[in-house]
Amino acid sequence: MRKTKALSGAAQDAYFRRAFKTHANLADEEREQLLGSLKREIAQLRLRLEPLPRGTPPPKPATAAPVHSQQETSAGPQAAATSARFDPFSPNVVVILRTSGRAAALAALKGIDTEEHLRLLAREQRLSIGSDVVSLSDLRAAIVSAAERRVANRMAAAS
Amino acid sequence: MTRFLAVSNRKGGVGKSTISVMLAHAAAAWGRQRVLLMDLDTQCNASLMLLGGEGWEKASRSGRTIADYFYDRFDNVAGDESVYIVNNVGDVAHPRTAPGRVSLLPGSLQLEDIQGELYLKQSKKDLHADAVALLVRSRMKRLMRHFGMDYDLVILDCPPGLSFAAHAALDMADHIVVPFRPDFVSQFALDRVALLIERVENAEQLASIPFAERRYACLPNCLTGAGHERLLLEQIALDHPLLATRLPVLDSIARAFDWDESKKSMEQKYAEALAHLRKLHTEVFAGTQRRAKSA
Repeated sequence: MRKTKALSGAAQDAYFRRAFKTHANLADEEREQLLGSLKREIAQLRLRLEPLPRGTPPPKPATAAPVHSQQETSAGPQAAATSARFDPFSPNVVVILRTSGRAAALAALKGIDTEEHLRLLAREQRLSIGSDVVSLSDLRAAIVSAAERRVANRMAAAS
Repeated sequence: MTRFLAVSNRKGGVGKSTISVMLAHAAAAWGRQRVLLMDLDTQCNASLMLLGGEGWEKASRSGRTIADYFYDRFDNVAGDESVYIVNNVGDVAHPRTAPGRVSLLPGSLQLEDIQGELYLKQSKKDLHADAVALLVRSRMKRLMRHFGMDYDLVILDCPPGLSFAAHAALDMADHIVVPFRPDFVSQFALDRVALLIERVENAEQLASIPFAERRYACLPNCLTGAGHERLLLEQIALDHPLLATRLPVLDSIARAFDWDESKKSMEQKYAEALAHLRKLHTEVFAGTQRRAKSA
């Protein structure tokens, strides 16, 4: 039995528009920008005919996701696949640190449970962490410390 | 009552002149206002957008520039300042019966030299350097304000950096739009211009001023929709009032300022950028009116 269907062209655009409409916090122009960006990058998408119930984790890919080096995740098809699942700009570590403090920033990073994603987030948010940090808890702490240095750096320039 | 709106950022290349001209067109066409744009930038980009190269050169040769105005009237503000103004500039057609129009006090390559000369002229009076700077700045403010009577709105297109004219414009403006590009150094530039505008010395003092009481609002410009832009805007929004209008990178904005003598409608000129300009116009004018009422 067919479980998915392919969408492309106008049908794909219409699907994206419907999906964006469910996000009331997006402005019209942001929706259009997102749509434009997706139209350029995605030629065809495959939709489940019966969506998974809420709270169901998505099925794991047939093969385990490879652990990318920093170079690999910054460019190339593997990076695109990774970034399609993971948004390295969320949570905004600097914003959480400044509004809610260090503990809250660490807590927000707890939801990210792979070294690859933590390193990707750090790189995309320009939070410099050492390559020798390995454990997830040390990585999270290093990210928050880097955010603290970034905030201090900005405050120094504005004094 | 005349409102003074400055468009400023110490950083260059953020779209100050483009936004000044767009707001001038919008205020004249949709707000039906008599608008004067004062080009305080020695690059004269706003003047070139509104007059074209030949028109600006002609104005410059006939002594109709801001540098001429400052120099001629520095010691004697009184007199007919309209001789320095070029009326009905730009390529947007306004109906004859409509009151809205755009006038220009053209920019000048000489403005920086003139400011230095005026400073030296004043320093002969045995004043301390700071007092001389203050004197030059307040005289410039007076000269700028002198135009107020004939216009509903004066837009001050500020230069990057901090000349006496830029200081004077920031001091006297009722409301200041600070355009910026979402990149790393922009947040530093915003911090610095905010300190100047609010006349405070550090980030802590700035933080103590509620957003609603600040004279400025920041305008994100040239957005591409990239993730790092969202990140930066969220960070900037912690410290500075941000306009809800977000201007994307659009060919129609860049091309709107290719000099063209033929008059056209706002729709023809701004094409797909029109909706963004409408939103910006509404938001900026709501802000300036709110400030005028509270003042």
